[in-house]
Amino acid sequence: MKKRLALILPAALLLSAFVIAGSGRSIDGDIPAPAAIGSTIEDFTLPDVDGTNRTLASLKGKNGSVILFIAVQCPVSNAYNERMEQLAQDFKAKGINVIGINANATEDAGAVKAHAAQNKLSFVILKDPGNKIADRLGAKVTPEAYFLDANNKLLYHGRIDNSKDPAGVNSSELRDALNLVLSGKPVEKTNATSFGCTIKRG
Amino acid sequence: MLTRALLVVSVGLSILLSSLAAPAQKRTRRPAKSKVAAVRSPVVTEIKTDALVALLNRQSEKPLLVNFWATWCDPCRDEFPDLVKIDADYRKLGLDFVTVSLDDVPDIKTTVPEFLQKMKATMPAYLLNVPDPDPLIKAVDPTWQGDLPATILYTTNGQVAYKHFGRVNPGELRSAIDKVIGARN
Repeated sequence: MKKRLALILPAALLLSAFVIAGSGRSIDGDIPAPAAIGSTIEDFTLPDVDGTNRTLASLKGKNGSVILFIAVQCPVSNAYNERMEQLAQDFKAKGINVIGINANATEDAGAVKAHAAQNKLSFVILKDPGNKIADRLGAKVTPEAYFLDANNKLLYHGRIDNSKDPAGVNSSELRDALNLVLSGKPVEKTNATSFGCTIKRG
Repeated sequence: MLTRALLVVSVGLSILLSSLAAPAQKRTRRPAKSKVAAVRSPVVTEIKTDALVALLNRQSEKPLLVNFWATWCDPCRDEFPDLVKIDADYRKLGLDFVTVSLDDVPDIKTTVPEFLQKMKATMPAYLLNVPDPDPLIKAVDPTWQGDLPATILYTTNGQVAYKHFGRVNPGELRSAIDKVIGARN
């Protein structure tokens, strides 16, 4: 009897711990927490919109990369199309490459390709089937940015700037982070949030 | 003198009659007006970070349910009918429920009330008007990445009893509300 209790009690405690932990958020509780600032992001391989496999190692610039989770149908992401393209153009010459990732299960490679052409997005956009990389980075919304240095160390995570409406922009955290690193200084603000469309996980 | 008195009386009477006639006119118009009111768009109030944080941290006799949403957010629109039903079922049991829209400010008079009207939503509706949403997001929950919808239930002491980011599970939300309402009674 004692032996049985000794088995049941820890099991019950474990179960109740799960119940308590799960009482806050359940449906999306399995989405991992965002990658920590300062952590190194392992290289990954994802198909581009033409189905060709590309690696982070082959796409990043000599001074680093910016991974942008973007969407075809999200109005917030779409409000940033021009700003994302401008960012890609401004920093490509400075050795930081922008890489787009579409992790929405509801948007296929064809739609992503057509959307990029329509909105004149010249940077490479990858599809993330099964949200493998979105999960690894803990990405939740579009648009959402991750700035990695040349060694794939995460230096900034969050929004592009403070306002969906370009007229309301008065803080550009992502650009500030890139410029600081390019001038050899540490990133001052490593995280800033804004509202966005939830990534439609498959 | 008499003529003067008569004049004063007649003027007084006409003022009195016209003042009585005015409400009478209003009364006759009222049914038409209330008909208009029944289909009029719900009022959406602008709110700033400080006022919203104060609302969320309030001490009250009633628990508070808050739903952050936007008309451009698909899962927000999808879950709204469930939220309207929850409001209808629990408001009478002592639940306060407010919605906070993250739409653009000009939408306060167009898409936001239009959607609320379509949903037959009657809970108090706010629209966040801030230049930078980051302080609010972090004040609400430091782990929140700004994904919508977000639904948070506060106890009467302003403690978070339940939170969910993404489309809510109505059964789960209802049982969380049952618990806080049960604890209150």
